[in-house]
Amino acid sequence: MKITGYRVEQYLMKMDRLVGDANLPSGVEMLPGSILYLETDEGLTGISFGYGGGAVEGLFGLIEDADPREVVALWIRMNDFLHKAGNEGAACAALSAIDMALWDLKAKIAGEPLWKTLGAKEGRVKAYASGLDYCLSDEELFAFYRRMAELGIDGGKLKVGLDLKADLRRLGIMRDALSIASPRPVLMIDSNEYWSPKQAVRYIRRMEQHFELRWVEEPARRWDYHGLRLVSQQVAAKVASGENLHTLADVYPLIANQAVDVINVWTGQSGVTGLRQIAHMAHAHGLQVSMMNAQANYMAQIAAALPNHNMMEVVDPGREHCLRWDNRIEDGYIVLGDAPGFGIEIDEQKLRELQAHPPTGRGKFPFPRREGAGRYIVPPAPGEVPWRRG
Amino acid sequence: MKITGVKVTRRMHETNALAGRLAESCCIVMLSTDAGLTGIGIADAGVRAPVRRLVADMLVGADPRSVTGIWQRMMDAQSASHSGKVLSRAIAVLDQALWDLKAKANHEPLWKSLGGAPPTANAYASSIGLSLGDEELSAWFLRMARDHGLRGGKLRVGTEESGDARRLERIRAALAEATPEPVLMIDADHGWSVKQAIDRVRAMEQQFDLTWIEGVSRDRDARGLKQLSDAICGAVCVGKGFATIGEFLPHLQRRSADVIQIDINTIGITGALQVADAAFGLELPVTLSAAPGNVHAHLAGVMPYFMSIEIVDPEPVTRLFTSGVRIVDGWAVAGDAPGNGLVLS
Repeated sequence: MKITGYRVEQYLMKMDRLVGDANLPSGVEMLPGSILYLETDEGLTGISFGYGGGAVEGLFGLIEDADPREVVALWIRMNDFLHKAGNEGAACAALSAIDMALWDLKAKIAGEPLWKTLGAKEGRVKAYASGLDYCLSDEELFAFYRRMAELGIDGGKLKVGLDLKADLRRLGIMRDALSIASPRPVLMIDSNEYWSPKQAVRYIRRMEQHFELRWVEEPARRWDYHGLRLVSQQVAAKVASGENLHTLADVYPLIANQAVDVINVWTGQSGVTGLRQIAHMAHAHGLQVSMMNAQANYMAQIAAALPNHNMMEVVDPGREHCLRWDNRIEDGYIVLGDAPGFGIEIDEQKLRELQAHPPTGRGKFPFPRREGAGRYIVPPAPGEVPWRRG
Repeated sequence: MKITGVKVTRRMHETNALAGRLAESCCIVMLSTDAGLTGIGIADAGVRAPVRRLVADMLVGADPRSVTGIWQRMMDAQSASHSGKVLSRAIAVLDQALWDLKAKANHEPLWKSLGGAPPTANAYASSIGLSLGDEELSAWFLRMARDHGLRGGKLRVGTEESGDARRLERIRAALAEATPEPVLMIDADHGWSVKQAIDRVRAMEQQFDLTWIEGVSRDRDARGLKQLSDAICGAVCVGKGFATIGEFLPHLQRRSADVIQIDINTIGITGALQVADAAFGLELPVTLSAAPGNVHAHLAGVMPYFMSIEIVDPEPVTRLFTSGVRIVDGWAVAGDAPGNGLVLS
């Protein structure tokens, strides 16, 4: 089988609700989508999701006429090609998207779901709920985590950082909502790099007087291994980071310097091949990884096969307008079906409709960094969030 | 597809010495499935009992395509039982047989199932395990250079200083048939202390350009091996016989290994892939130690920082099996037959 061509479709979605964090607590409801299709001479098509739109053209020559089953070797070829310019930015996004579509093809050729191609014992991944919820009112917050708890999910990650008292109140709301799934729900927080390391230590230690936290995510800048290690040493919770780094080479300094306890992984980290490298490196160092949220939870296909995966983030804000998928959440686990590849099909008609009539709504990606970040806290202004200040 | 059982051949002795040199005796493991496919692996004969037990306890009824998860489950069970090297070798050979099945189920060679390109793996000749006198040593390496184009050679050293230098010179002279700059490596077989190794290697480096030295001191002595690495020009190569990814950790942390050696006979293919990814994070070159039938050649194309594979026997020296791997012009070329290419006679 040979790769013969590709196409990229881009579109805009309006999600079912707003999502927001400390950098943009008012939230956004508009989300750009892109789909890469890799076509073959035998009629099978590999697909991937992400932001690989523009730069695919620059790498396609490296995989044209190649056999998609040789995906890891093709990854090495692309990575070597990018040697001087670097596997970064748009090039990394394109490499990631191509690698994912190649893995989708490899599994489709074998007629099996990707988790099986990757050698997983079962297509089942523990989930935790993540509201991206700084833009939700207290009532909406409770409703989201209760809906997740009704699916058996017993862990939650709250967006925090701008208002300690309100954050504590909302942590209690999240815990109460999840308590129908477990008498001791797993609680996590995410400040999305809004704090300096010392701000993080002060803030988190005060939180830990009231709550046991499993991990704190991005309590310092993504590359600041001194700062992240300082936080890890001074709080009881684990430190999680990595979602904004894109290669093993970028993540390695965090591992080597004992700066992180959990590494967030996703396909934007140089594809399935690249994120698996990161997971294997973490595994060698006795560290766990956690898969990021994804449209239709497709990344659970990969998480199922990682030896050191703990649980995967589930957001479910409504991003599946033109997708059909073969997985479900049951008893707190994402249960993957037997459909080949990522188990995702594109509803081409709905995609065309979205492209022909782009929806409109509030905000857009990417989130900018909020004023004061790393120096002083700027609490939400009146009307910026639908919840009461602490 | 489900695993239905296993057949393990009787113990086969030195007279049937296997390509890839596995101790003094070996056995062949054959995993059977309800699809009629058979997965093959070759191992030290000591694994016979644990292989049967592992298959009965953990593999029967499982889908071999889930090899990564099955391997992890076997490793976790082993970790709980604190068992030793024999069980590691049993897990490793079952992992190889499972990968053989996974590839056969896809009607493709193992290298393709792993995601690699057709591998032409940089290979070197190793006389380790063969007891050769000086003349035999020259003849053996000459054959490796002439018939197979091998441009690198590894000598087991440590007994007598002048003898080591004399024999290394013989290897260099023999390999000069294939290349003006033979690649030379030495294995001290754990016979030297760190300080002794520094003295001996420095002395040898006056005369030879050594690519690496392996088998110095204790494999777990990361501090000592780092001391050695800091004192010599050649690379310190570590990892032969390691059965878990955790054994590599001190060497990654201290950078006491300059070359990571992976032994699929002890860590399996699944473990080998994990270690190779971790090594890539530090851009440490990965070399694969010898394996029966040279099936390790299949892994070369999927390792981002692959360096070389060790060849003890370019072709199986026994009539028990044939291998699809050929050593041509110094490169190991894995064939296109489904699975790992081992065919039992």
